[in-house]
Amino acid sequence: MDYYKKIFKESIVVVIMSSVMGLFSGTLLSSNDEIIYAIPIFIIALPALNSLIGDISTILISRLTTHLYIGSIPPKIQSSKRLIEDFIGLLLTILLSLGFLLIMGYGVVFFSGMAIVNPLIIIIIIIFTIMILFFTMFIFLFISAIFLFKRGKDPNNFLIPFVTSSADFLTPLMLIIFIQIFI
Amino acid sequence: MAKQDFKGKATIVKETFPSEIVSIIGSILAGILLSLLILPFKSFIVLILIIPALLSLRGNISGPFIARTSRDLIVGEFNKRSWLENVLATLSLSLITALLIGFLSIMLNILLLHVLTLPIHMLILIPVISILFTLTISIPCSTGLNFFAFKRGIDPNNLVNPIMTAIDDFSTVLCFYLTIILLGVP
Repeated sequence: MDYYKKIFKESIVVVIMSSVMGLFSGTLLSSNDEIIYAIPIFIIALPALNSLIGDISTILISRLTTHLYIGSIPPKIQSSKRLIEDFIGLLLTILLSLGFLLIMGYGVVFFSGMAIVNPLIIIIIIIFTIMILFFTMFIFLFISAIFLFKRGKDPNNFLIPFVTSSADFLTPLMLIIFIQIFI
Repeated sequence: MAKQDFKGKATIVKETFPSEIVSIIGSILAGILLSLLILPFKSFIVLILIIPALLSLRGNISGPFIARTSRDLIVGEFNKRSWLENVLATLSLSLITALLIGFLSIMLNILLLHVLTLPIHMLILIPVISILFTLTISIPCSTGLNFFAFKRGIDPNNLVNPIMTAIDDFSTVLCFYLTIILLGVP
């Protein structure tokens, strides 16, 4: 049961902490219900935006971990061809996905007859939010993965729960802040 | 096939983008399902407190499960024993965290919301039963997908997580709905 113990020991604290953050996210949403109901695209696209930034970050962590285990990325905080390729590949994916998400989200809003409020500003806010989160996450996760790997820990167990909850909390938080500032 | 040849950025986009589309469709459907099925409940204001935490818990638990399975396959350490220990750890972590979500949502309800439409024990039972239902779908699906990708020479890291996000988000909301119906939540 060594593998079980390793997973459990490495995951329990971060999983609990990140689930508590999930509860804060629920509290944040319920206390800003006027924004959510005033801008229908927000409620339609929010789960997908959370998933998008969470997915891309999870892919990055699991790729970094695998590269570190098989030795294709050295455990040092330095640029490498593999790292740059991962960055560009994931950036292109997130931009394409965001385009698809916005088309689909606005499609649902349009065909369901819901109100379309300030579409250009909302689209800019969404793209800006996701880009800030992506760049921040990339740098933070790369440094954290190296740090954890060098200490003999599995970055998957620590970083994925952390990043999923952070994304679930930070995405609506940043969107709400930007909407309050610009609309 | 202990090590898989990792390819360039074009391959990352090629392998990740289609599965991300599936993830987005699943998440948008989950959002629509949430507003159609959960919104009409009298206890919605309390239920909405738990839902983001459950969606987070799903990502926190099943994301690492998928990543560990992918890594074990790629580095050649996957076997029945390692998979079972992985599943057991995932279930233990889920139960403990679901219980904690229940206790904390009771506290938040008492301290902030003051909505007493639900008996207290329901706030413990809902996350526990709901997450167990979800994992019953998630674990076999993600293991199967990991194998499918690996056997076809696709990096499971790129493919499995986004597809499972769609399946998990959708099944989390559906299992949440089934749980509250089962428990007779008003």
